[in-house]
Amino acid sequence: MAHTAEAGIDLAVVRELMSHFKPQDHQEAQELILSALQEINEHFGYVSLEAAEIVAEHLDTTVNRIYGLLTFYADFRTEPRGRHFMLLCHGMSCYVMGSQQLVQDLKDRYGVGDGDTTPDGELTVQVVNGCLGVCDRAPIVKLDDSFYGDLTPDTLNDVIQRAIAARRATEDTDVNPINDRRSNPA
Amino acid sequence: MSTQSTTAAQTRLSSRAEFEAYRERAEQRWASLWNGNQTVVSVGIGSCSVAKGALDVLAACETALQGQAGIVRQVSCDGACWMEPWIEVKRPDQPPVIYGNLSPDEIPDVLAGRLEERAIGVRAEKPLGAILPLVSHPFFKHQQRIVLANVGVIDPDSIEDAIARGAYSAYLKVLFDLSGEEAIAELTASNLRGRGGAGFPAGIKWESGRKAKARPKFVVCNSHEGEPNVYKDRRIHEGDPHRILEGILIACIACGAERGYNYIGGEYPLAIKRFRRAVQDAERLGLIGKDVLGSGKNVAFRVRTGGGAYICGEGSALMYSIMGVRGQPRTKPPRSVEEGIWKRPTVANNTETLANVPDIILKGGEWYAGIGTEKSKGTKLMTIQGPLKTMGLVEVPMGITLRTLIDEVWGGMRDGHQFKGIQTGGVSAGPLKEEHLDLPVDFDSLTEVGGMLGSGGFAVFDQHVCAVDYARYLTAFNRYESCSKCVPCRLGNPALVEILDRIRLGRGSESDLPLMDRTSKHIVELSLCGLGQVAPAPLLGMMKMYPEEFRAHIVDGVCPSGVCPISSDEVVLAAGD
Repeated sequence: MAHTAEAGIDLAVVRELMSHFKPQDHQEAQELILSALQEINEHFGYVSLEAAEIVAEHLDTTVNRIYGLLTFYADFRTEPRGRHFMLLCHGMSCYVMGSQQLVQDLKDRYGVGDGDTTPDGELTVQVVNGCLGVCDRAPIVKLDDSFYGDLTPDTLNDVIQRAIAARRATEDTDVNPINDRRSNPA
Repeated sequence: MSTQSTTAAQTRLSSRAEFEAYRERAEQRWASLWNGNQTVVSVGIGSCSVAKGALDVLAACETALQGQAGIVRQVSCDGACWMEPWIEVKRPDQPPVIYGNLSPDEIPDVLAGRLEERAIGVRAEKPLGAILPLVSHPFFKHQQRIVLANVGVIDPDSIEDAIARGAYSAYLKVLFDLSGEEAIAELTASNLRGRGGAGFPAGIKWESGRKAKARPKFVVCNSHEGEPNVYKDRRIHEGDPHRILEGILIACIACGAERGYNYIGGEYPLAIKRFRRAVQDAERLGLIGKDVLGSGKNVAFRVRTGGGAYICGEGSALMYSIMGVRGQPRTKPPRSVEEGIWKRPTVANNTETLANVPDIILKGGEWYAGIGTEKSKGTKLMTIQGPLKTMGLVEVPMGITLRTLIDEVWGGMRDGHQFKGIQTGGVSAGPLKEEHLDLPVDFDSLTEVGGMLGSGGFAVFDQHVCAVDYARYLTAFNRYESCSKCVPCRLGNPALVEILDRIRLGRGSESDLPLMDRTSKHIVELSLCGLGQVAPAPLLGMMKMYPEEFRAHIVDGVCPSGVCPISSDEVVLAAGD
């Protein structure tokens, strides 16, 4: 992920993203709210209050309505992601091939459930209730930009540790944890 | 070597003759691609194959062909997940051969013809040496491809490829040769039923849309495939986006709608990207806009994307989502064909339904009605999950048996896995067992025994899966995805999960079984939308098919599959908690 929360959300970038949304009337503006939020969520990994305010202003709506959308649709986050972001597929194929054990193991080993970030800010886990579509290698996860399949709790742990180690190896100094607050999925 | 560059559609076509001239050029280019003195390598790139390294295979193909007379093209995944990453090699004077399960370092050998044992089949009627025809492979043998005809064949980003293979011919027919009534009559004659799960006849829906008086009118394509075991619409978007677009445009013209929408699930970035590209190209060619091809007819188009809420697959919720609010279903009537998006008449169809439309218009409703069973016409896309050997998306005629699908098409169970049951209808129906496998797969037969065709998503499970635990998973999905509008669904599903957890932990009592029945009845009878009304169906199905497993947990205190944390003090919670 190019943008981490150390930098916060660059509101100039949000404004630039918003400038591509040019509704011709109020109806179309409303139709574009979700797309606009998706663009921001995609770019920064979450939608902050400040970013939501810009969207609300640009598309002539209220920040309250936007918060209602952010908390209804599962793809959105209102808190920053950890340095690594993992989608854990919990579709039916992954379930029948054991994804439940992966979910449980993440809880035991890292203390994270759906939507949570580890206390050290390394990893955010999002459990996908739909399907990531790589069913013949189930159970699978998508960690950052790569897919990993045929997982067991131990191989998943290896995958996570290797990703963290690989990133650390490329960093000169260890940065401060980005997010010591646990996001609140309730 | 040259990478095939897609000729962008430059100029707007303003008449039927101009379109036909464009198609002729496209057909010539397509023919010369395959008849030339060069090697043509097509690589299947879809979200599924990218996950398995298909982009590296693509790069390896480009490197290997450098300095040679050859072309590397991108096509999409053709449904055969089990053979990815795959490539198709068309050598001069030979029919194309498909090689599967490749790694990048094998590519030079494959292209040089030194790895012929990796060939899956040849696209020809006769064998090529030891390589058998692809159509004789069990995975392909039973398929009849209408919707998937071009998937894995054309470059999905090339409108020229699509037009060379017949795209927009049916649209032209509807624009110039047929009246709206005549087009809808073909659809009615075909008896095409909605592919999203409910099976409502598409012709009747279009007819109501056409007759609706209020203006403007809309057509919306429901491409929000939120079920945890279905990936058919995503593959059509990735493989042949123009077919979907053409279907929507035909619906717009036939029903007299001003604007078409396609609502795509946000989880499918590649599907969205390719579909948006298709819309841009069609706009540039003048197939969307004002006075399309000089016909005097106008049609506008918008793509909208979802945000990962299963409920948005429900018609009215989807329309609320398009309008930028929470996707929560409303009471009906009025039906959406009377009051839909922005309170205007809206014809809503599933992606697969609309993707069938171009061929029905071109070849006639009679032709389509000749495929399938008495009450379920045509073909159906079906997806499979679970421990099977050759998994993937297939298009088969309605009426094929589950046994043929499982044992032949999908290759049978993997070693070490015994068939225990097959979950049908996504999360909206119950499982079926061995004794039901000879039933024909169509809209009605499975329903009689508690299953459902639904949108065609099946999941086979084996002896390692516990019926109680699986019921808990399916119920927990519905609990998580409940939109929270109605009390029975919002509170009933969590109650069911609690009871199931109690049973899984070995603390269930015999009274829990009737309690679950009663609670389910509340949800079924009192929920507002179709999804709430079927939310307890998987649980009820599991209880009906595997009563002995529920009793084993409650009475004997054991989980026969060894999955449930019986007698553990720890409360185990699953995703979504």
